[in-house]
Amino acid sequence: MMEKLFNPSSIAVVGASADPSKIGNVVLRNLKGSGYRGNVYPVNPRGGEIMGWKVYKSIPDLPDGVDLAVIVLPAHIAVDAVEECGKKGIPFVIPIAGGFGETGEEGKKREERLKEIVQKHGTRIIGPNTVGIYVPWSGVNTALTVPERSSFPPAGDIAFISQSGALGLLTMDAISPLGVGISHFVNLGNRVDLNENELLAYFAGEEHVKSVAMYLETFANGREFMRVAREFTAKKGLVVLKAGRTAKGARAASLHTGALGGADGVVNGALRQVGAVRAYDEVEIIDYARALAYGKPMFGERVGVITTAGGVGVVTTDYIEGSDPGMGLRMADLSEETKKELRKELVPFASVENPVDMTASGDESDYDAAIGALMGDPNVDGIILYALFQTPLVSERLVDIVARWMKEGEKPIVVGVIGGEYSQRMMREFERRKVPVYPSILRTVKALKALKVRGDYLRRVRK
Amino acid sequence: MNDPVEFIRNLGRKALAEHEVKAILKHYGIRVPRYEVLEEYRPVDLRYPLAVKVSSPEVLHKTDVGGVILGVKNEEELKVAVEEIRGKFPGAAVLVEEMEKSGVEVIVGVLRDRDFGLAIMFGIGGIFTEVFRDVTFRVLPIDEDDAEDMLTEIKGRKVLEGFRGIKVDREGLKELLLRVSDMAMDLSDFIEQMDLNPVFVREDGAVVVDAKMVLR
Repeated sequence: MMEKLFNPSSIAVVGASADPSKIGNVVLRNLKGSGYRGNVYPVNPRGGEIMGWKVYKSIPDLPDGVDLAVIVLPAHIAVDAVEECGKKGIPFVIPIAGGFGETGEEGKKREERLKEIVQKHGTRIIGPNTVGIYVPWSGVNTALTVPERSSFPPAGDIAFISQSGALGLLTMDAISPLGVGISHFVNLGNRVDLNENELLAYFAGEEHVKSVAMYLETFANGREFMRVAREFTAKKGLVVLKAGRTAKGARAASLHTGALGGADGVVNGALRQVGAVRAYDEVEIIDYARALAYGKPMFGERVGVITTAGGVGVVTTDYIEGSDPGMGLRMADLSEETKKELRKELVPFASVENPVDMTASGDESDYDAAIGALMGDPNVDGIILYALFQTPLVSERLVDIVARWMKEGEKPIVVGVIGGEYSQRMMREFERRKVPVYPSILRTVKALKALKVRGDYLRRVRK
Repeated sequence: MNDPVEFIRNLGRKALAEHEVKAILKHYGIRVPRYEVLEEYRPVDLRYPLAVKVSSPEVLHKTDVGGVILGVKNEEELKVAVEEIRGKFPGAAVLVEEMEKSGVEVIVGVLRDRDFGLAIMFGIGGIFTEVFRDVTFRVLPIDEDDAEDMLTEIKGRKVLEGFRGIKVDREGLKELLLRVSDMAMDLSDFIEQMDLNPVFVREDGAVVVDAKMVLR
């Protein structure tokens, strides 16, 4: 059923416009720009043609079999248009405009009417007050950002559910230069009908989706979320950025328990109980979602670090071992066999203790040997590898080596790359090969921690 | 108390007196000090020293209003203490308890969350509860793994692992959390918030020293 939303055979755009400054035009341009290959039916009482598409004068005039209708009309007339779509039997409708529950009584009444339409016609509504959906592999893009000013990620493994439209679009724009792909983007908006729980349940069985990133300000239904999330996390990784942490719980706090910041504490507890990783900003949410989509869970807490720069290893060690902020990780004590192997393979002045420092004379075969040694060491549960391209002996071939170990190895690897243009190009290569890669030490360590949170959870539910 | 659910259903008020909460706790196998409830002074079959407290649904924060007298050493002092409480709080019950040997002080709470319903809180208790705010939460019901996670999640986890010769019954503490979970689930239609603070955790188990409960 949800396939008709994410991979519709035809889309109606109600309120389509030939004027490039109008949202009714931007939506059409985005559809075209994303390479949507199904039928597009602009609807506008003036008729005619826009961007080569025939314009229909009204919703009843539309051909049968429209899977998705995007309503670009203002709130006061959007509701009637949604109703007409319902009567027409269109299964999914996205009313984009604001002017609903977020604005007051009048808007709340409009939302009530939308709910009635869902009840009466079985039409499913995304929004209102939403930028809708973006699905790169099917080319559906209902967003209203001007295509010249913002970019959309390519097809990938992460489904991104966002209660906020703007934050979702900004995040997608921001990750595009790295080439991070997403499988679906859904902006819940005012969430009169379709909510995060239903989507999460669907994404659990959707093959494009390897992990879900979720931005929420409120839960549609907390208990239902926990039920669905438990089923989801048994299969795939889930990251939740739950904002509004500092808003006062404002419960009638006659007792201590009520006065100790319960609301956000309970969110923390609930996320732990369902095995979701909590993110705290728009960078972390995608960082963790990439780690969970591409990487293996980390079963244990002992980290082996491979570097060619001593200082990078020292800072990493501090983050891992420091208790404030605590990462719940620790540096592995490498086995004697590993050290022997490393001594044999690496240059004589390399450090064969953890962090393994191959120094600037480390080359690609040293990296290969070091990864192999740590993969085989029973004292190591996960690997942080710094791919530092500033030294002459390391080239793009390192990406292939790491990508191969990602497939063959049984432990997770996360890669840190620090540097400018050349390094950023290498990061895009890692990302293209679905190796979780990060441009700073802290982000690299935190990504591995996300894999550890998932590993801890899986170990518990599987025991 | 035979049936806490029936008791609460028929209560007809929003708050419980401390001795009522403790009777419910006892029903769920949660340790509380040995106590007797007095309408007026009479000799008691308890081991001195004793704590004498007003026990009334109207007085939630007893210490603030002089409703607690600690360290009562003999019958003579008990008589004076009971009369004092009765004088200050006419008509209220007087709770006379054996003083417990102190231990690590923790807080265990139950609250009703808007999104997730009943939840349990655990953390460092006693008079510094609101200074450190070192607490953690789980949605109810919880299982043994959740209880263990809660103990290891707080910043003060070290004091629960034994510290400067202080020994702590971790298993007993986890058992207490699980029993509070059972109790809250049974009373889930009624309970709004509960504070068990302090709970003394010693080598020989966890004892709830003070308890408050309000209903929806």
